[in-house]
Amino acid sequence: MTSAVQPSPLGSGDSSALVDVVDTILDKGMVIDAQVSVSVIGIQLVNIDARVVIASVDTYLRFAEAVNRLDLSEKQGAGVPEIVDGVGKQTMISKAGEILGDLANRER
Amino acid sequence: MTEQTATFLYGVVPADVEPTSDARGIGDPPAQVTMVIHRDVGALISAVSLDRPLGRPEELRGYQQLLDGTAAVAPVLPVRFGTVLTDENAVTELLAEYHDDFRAALDELDGRMQFIVRGRYDQQTLLTEVLDENPEVRELRDEARRLPDEVTVPLRTRLGEIVNQAVEAKRNADTEALADLLRPIADQLLVRPATRETEAANIAVLVEAERIEELEKAVQRITEDWTGRIDLRILGPLAPYDFVAPLQPSAEV
Repeated sequence: MTSAVQPSPLGSGDSSALVDVVDTILDKGMVIDAQVSVSVIGIQLVNIDARVVIASVDTYLRFAEAVNRLDLSEKQGAGVPEIVDGVGKQTMISKAGEILGDLANRER
Repeated sequence: MTEQTATFLYGVVPADVEPTSDARGIGDPPAQVTMVIHRDVGALISAVSLDRPLGRPEELRGYQQLLDGTAAVAPVLPVRFGTVLTDENAVTELLAEYHDDFRAALDELDGRMQFIVRGRYDQQTLLTEVLDENPEVRELRDEARRLPDEVTVPLRTRLGEIVNQAVEAKRNADTEALADLLRPIADQLLVRPATRETEAANIAVLVEAERIEELEKAVQRITEDWTGRIDLRILGPLAPYDFVAPLQPSAEV
């Protein structure tokens, strides 16, 4: 059997929203690190906003505000403003540079 | 200064998989994806420049589209985004050294695909439920309204904390209900952490290709039950990002 690999047509649908892409692949997949192969290069990755919900006072005050507006909007028939999505925790995808000496630097 | 290049590793596949000539991965312009093969396993790779950080949106998309496209036709072990090896020889060595692990994992995944089922609460419905089910929330809210804002921070914090607990309890209950529905259909199931405050469920499943229709029907049924309350979506088929174990260092080295 030979399977021809093509870019996914499905990727162009729902899953192409960047937030879905990040949520699907970030920190997922098989880990191959320097312990596994000394040929793994530490490469710098762009900072990506990993969306993880961590409840904090901010979260509580947003919920309180949303509940407060909820009843008012019932009376006034207005829409409820969205709670700000996610708390937004800045993380590096990976501190890959720490895995093993950076090849680019070594060879420079 | 000459451009530093290395080899970006997307995933491990059976050796009879063949990237089409138009398969493109990361890079600017996107690099052509090729294979290196050792015995009956292969690796999807492309050349990558080391001169700038990886992870731009189009690179993340390119990586996912290639792996999802592969998963649609063959088993694939997606390798974590950003895994780069010195050169193609290093990839061949990796395939040789871990051949048996890769082969076993590929056999296990054969004919199976990942889907992610995610639900999101309608905020107004969610908060109305919380208000109706928790008299204390209503009392605290009314009290906070009577007093000037500057003296009600502790009160509003307490109010929000109770709401947050109620939302978390609902999320746990709804996630469990969805998981119970999906578990008989799935080979493996993983509850993923919530990524939004209004998230109702975020579940990854690994299912056999023959059962995809069953999965879709089950999701459809609960979508109808939850209409107006939870907006449910199904993503996939995807490469099994959530169902690959980290590669363990081999004992003999």
